[in-house]
Amino acid sequence: MSVRELRQAGLAGIGSSRIRANWAGIAIAALLSLFILTPLVNVAIWAFTEVWRYPAVIPQKFGFRFWADVLSRGDVHLAMTTSLSLAAIVTALSALICLPASYAFARLNFPGRNLFFMSFLTVYAFPKFGLYITIATIFLGLGLIGNFWGVVLIQLVSTLMFMVWIPVSAFQNVDRRQEEAARDVGASQLRVFWSITLPQVLPAISAAVLLTFVNTFYETEVAWLIGAPEVRTVPLLMVRFINSELVVQYGAVLSLLLWVPSFILLMLVRRFLGAQALGRALGA
Amino acid sequence: MSRAEATRQDAKGGRLFGLLLIAAPVSLVLLLIIWPVALSVFDTLTVETPSGVALSLDAYRFFFSDGFSLRNLWMTIQVAAICTVLLLIISLTIALYLRFSTSRLTGYIQALALFPLFVPSILLAYALIRTLGPNGTVDILLNAVGLPKLASPYLTIWGPIIGLVWDNLPLTLLIVLAGLGNVSSASIDAARDVGANRAQVLRYIILPRIRSTLLVAASFVVLGLFSAFTLPYLLGPAVPEMMGPFMRRTIIDVDDPLQARTQAVVSFMICAAFAYFYVRSIARTRREQSS
Repeated sequence: MSVRELRQAGLAGIGSSRIRANWAGIAIAALLSLFILTPLVNVAIWAFTEVWRYPAVIPQKFGFRFWADVLSRGDVHLAMTTSLSLAAIVTALSALICLPASYAFARLNFPGRNLFFMSFLTVYAFPKFGLYITIATIFLGLGLIGNFWGVVLIQLVSTLMFMVWIPVSAFQNVDRRQEEAARDVGASQLRVFWSITLPQVLPAISAAVLLTFVNTFYETEVAWLIGAPEVRTVPLLMVRFINSELVVQYGAVLSLLLWVPSFILLMLVRRFLGAQALGRALGA
Repeated sequence: MSRAEATRQDAKGGRLFGLLLIAAPVSLVLLLIIWPVALSVFDTLTVETPSGVALSLDAYRFFFSDGFSLRNLWMTIQVAAICTVLLLIISLTIALYLRFSTSRLTGYIQALALFPLFVPSILLAYALIRTLGPNGTVDILLNAVGLPKLASPYLTIWGPIIGLVWDNLPLTLLIVLAGLGNVSSASIDAARDVGANRAQVLRYIILPRIRSTLLVAASFVVLGLFSAFTLPYLLGPAVPEMMGPFMRRTIIDVDDPLQARTQAVVSFMICAAFAYFYVRSIARTRREQSS
């Protein structure tokens, strides 16, 4: 149910005074704004600051100097290349193996279908980081620590919940009558899939692909545990900025630089899926 | 060919074909989830002896008699408990408001509460350090209005708590909202009609109906807390540390994979009941969706 529906349903339920409810609303909105927005606004200001000495409330000098610095840093370029190729490879591999599987789960009948489908629930059943530790102990023996493809392999596991679950429900929701009608007028199976099925599931699949890409790009824990120190992704560069960089602005500029594209992509996902479905995809 | 025949043929060819299509992701689950977990449980419970493999609780005996390990575990449990309580209170307050208010503020509040979904936690860690850390925004603002500095939560147990509440708020809220959607307005109206006030409606009508939702939300938070790594590592104290950073240090820096596995299995065990509630609820949602 969307919030608007909820609100309409709630209309009947309110007997108390509107004003009191609104005081509560203003209080919630104010506290929440403070809690959620302060850290973000702070970083946004730092990114455009050249000089900000404590305890001034407003920076002494604004400017873009550090943008040029960050954009010309070799480690930023290297990390960007690593992260983009990691995210692209993981997303492509994940789509390659998961999308056909999700079609099979939604539409084909085969022995053990439910059992296999439910086996994906194990992704949710363990605290993630503990799971990565148990994988890492195996990778240690295989020499996959510090290996790019070791990171790819584990990242693939965490994409399963997007690339299998989301498309499965999309395939299940395709209007079967349209497909049958197309078959009746003589369209081949491939043609039906291409012209009828695919267009209907495309928004959900795009959402799954975008979610996978964004999540892999920002994934910190696997990269840190399995990839460091050889595999240097952007989140790991950010960790280095946090731990050992004296110039505050580098981290701020990098944050803003990274956050804006992810925000746009995720808003697209939200458009394709809606807030509740996006939440479900992420485990709510 | 009639349609019935065609379907039958589809089904027949589909059997092998279907298994073939699901082979790759299912083997990923087997190889990278079930196998490592099973192997870790097995290896931490056994020792190699000259006469073969024998059952041994030594790894666990060490964990549960090592003061350092226990302090880390205890801190994780504390942070998990505090975060769960805070998140449930905050989410329930916001969800109740969103459910029952007609004010235009609801749109803003919902957008704001879901906003952390769009902020990767590594960026959040950085932002919180600049805000709560030494000479950060909080210090600046307190100083500007002439108040003394507060003790900074950065690098204390409260650093990760603030970060994890921020990070987990949207999904906890979505779980609670979905649960509140199932409380019928009619039952609330009925209670109001017989003179129940807000507190009574909440206590006797709403809470009993969303008890299982709250349990699922709590399970989600607890699982997330035991697996948290980035925020506790960057915002929390070095000693004691939460299980995430502790496990990483044990395997990478201390180079003791056996204890790291033991720590992982201990956290699986502690989370088992929560994982059960959480997975059951996800399975139920999927079934409802697909039927």
